[in-house]
Amino acid sequence: MSILLRGIAKQFGEFAAVENINLDVPTGALIALLGPSGCGKTTLLRIIAGLETPDRGQVLFDGKDATSWPIRERRVGFVFQHYALFGHMTVFENVAFGLKVKPRRERPPAAKIRKKVRSLLELVQLDWAGDRYPAQLSGGQKQRVALARALAVDPDVLLLDEPFGALDSQVRHELRRWLRRLHDELHFTSVFVTHDQQEAIEVADTIVVLNRGQIEQCGIPGEIYDLPTSAFVHRFLGQVNELPVQMRQGRAHVGPLDISLNAAAASDGGNHIALIRPHEIEIGPEASGWPAAVLAVRVIGSIVRLDLHAEGQAANEPLEAEISRERYEAERFSVGQKVGLRFRRWQVYPADAARTAPTGATA
Amino acid sequence: MQSRVLAASYEMSDAEVSRAHGPRPRRRPQWGRLLLIAAALSFLGVFLALPLLAVFVQALAMGVGAYVAAIFDPMAWAAVKLTLRIAATAVPLNLVFGVAAAWAIAKFDFRGKSTLISLIDLPFAVSPVIAGLIFILIFGTHGWFGGTLRAHHIRVVFAVPGIVLATTFVTFPFIARELIPVMQAQGKDDEETALSLGASGWQTFWRVTLPNIRWGLLYGVLLCNARAMGEFGAVSVVSGHIRGLTNTMPLHVEILYNEYNYVGAFAVASLLALLALLTLAGKSLLEWRQPELRHSARQPPDRTRRERT
Repeated sequence: MSILLRGIAKQFGEFAAVENINLDVPTGALIALLGPSGCGKTTLLRIIAGLETPDRGQVLFDGKDATSWPIRERRVGFVFQHYALFGHMTVFENVAFGLKVKPRRERPPAAKIRKKVRSLLELVQLDWAGDRYPAQLSGGQKQRVALARALAVDPDVLLLDEPFGALDSQVRHELRRWLRRLHDELHFTSVFVTHDQQEAIEVADTIVVLNRGQIEQCGIPGEIYDLPTSAFVHRFLGQVNELPVQMRQGRAHVGPLDISLNAAAASDGGNHIALIRPHEIEIGPEASGWPAAVLAVRVIGSIVRLDLHAEGQAANEPLEAEISRERYEAERFSVGQKVGLRFRRWQVYPADAARTAPTGATA
Repeated sequence: MQSRVLAASYEMSDAEVSRAHGPRPRRRPQWGRLLLIAAALSFLGVFLALPLLAVFVQALAMGVGAYVAAIFDPMAWAAVKLTLRIAATAVPLNLVFGVAAAWAIAKFDFRGKSTLISLIDLPFAVSPVIAGLIFILIFGTHGWFGGTLRAHHIRVVFAVPGIVLATTFVTFPFIARELIPVMQAQGKDDEETALSLGASGWQTFWRVTLPNIRWGLLYGVLLCNARAMGEFGAVSVVSGHIRGLTNTMPLHVEILYNEYNYVGAFAVASLLALLALLTLAGKSLLEWRQPELRHSARQPPDRTRRERT
């Protein structure tokens, strides 16, 4: 089922949770609503589910106006961050709930319900846990039960509100991959909410980045990461180094480096910043670029992170660079070593007043 | 000096070490513990066990025969029946009102919510005597609706309906107050999940909400019931003390006591205490009969985990 949002707005008292949201979710898509807390992503999900009514705008399911449909008629499966399993029911009864509450003429016979629940529990690899109570399961197992329960009523849409937010990173990683596989097998339309950019990139076909109740950018994961259209998105998807842009003789500079190539916008006068991801910093011999000193070296599995104090920058705000383990093994950068920095890529944005950090000016 | 002590202790066997150091640090906390336990027990004894015991001792002071006779006195028996009838009316009423109010307050946002919360607390804040007087003022002969009621030959004040009204008013907060924090702590996720799975509002209430709140509800009902049977002040004002007709057990106890009929007074009082003990026993029995319900709905039994590999 496809979902269309048209001009959705919702206020909570004085606070505008979402403002004028337009979004297309095609049938079978797996979409991530990504944003910091308070950006309106959960509100938007709840509006799609029918748990909140928008103040303005329309929700269309397969082209039909579903704005005023009650939740039970929308055929959506909803999964909460904290599972919301019914504690007084066994795992089996939890999964069977949606089938047992159907009106008598639609309700499948008991044997059929049993068979269906069993196959769902097999699907989530919990066929052994049918007579357990939720409290006897781990977080990851609980969330799988919640998913099986949502799938039991054959929803057209699966909505997940920070589904893995309460789990530890190992389990989270496993469940993400599992959700992706499940989605590819069953072909329902899914929308999930997360504040974890890595999760969004790993799982979703399309990422919708939200900020202050509005869509900042919408696109496929690689595109959003590589070509962010705003400093907010750039910052939100992964680590960034933020440096002020200076104009000298009509050319844009960061420190001593000329970055005019990608900074045409900066020539219009106002303050600008350059955002550079840690892996976009090239480290070479001292004479090869912006002189800097290595402040710290941290080996993190396959990558190595270096804190660098570039000349003219404040020492308490070092630049962060990432190099591969192989590169590190070959060059053996050590603390105190003098190096030269160059940027492989950068992106220039107008500096918004709220976020401009007055980093030390260059001499 | 210190290093020598250390060196010496290294040479001691484990048993010696424990003998040398073991008991000393434990002794003082043990005294403290005993003292605290003794204080707690004597408090319980003086304030709970002793009065309860005194009631039964006084009631049986003239022998079992006098006790039985006092209880089966027609007037006493009428008071017992009236009290049970009142409780059987007021408690279900407050069960419905209390659950509805707690449901509304905990699960929905609406204007006037804080006013409603304060209103629920009103019966706790107001003296029971005033609660009784309110009903006299409204339904009494010279009250607002006095004329209308008389015209239709309906008696409220100095009759059973008045007692029911006063008791319901006084016991109103018990169930709602017990449920609101429980329901608020549980949030709306369970209900919203049930709705998304296609359950109707009614099904959601019976299958999800009610099981989640059952222990809070049971506790609220017990408290409400105990108070409904024991209420004195408000009932005293509206009942009119008509023996055999509008005398509840607490009122009857007072009358007998004022008549220097100590055996009678304490016999009825012991019955009242017995009813209270019975409700408590009933609750324990329920918990004992359904061990899987003993834990709150959020934490079902923690049997040993056996993970399948």
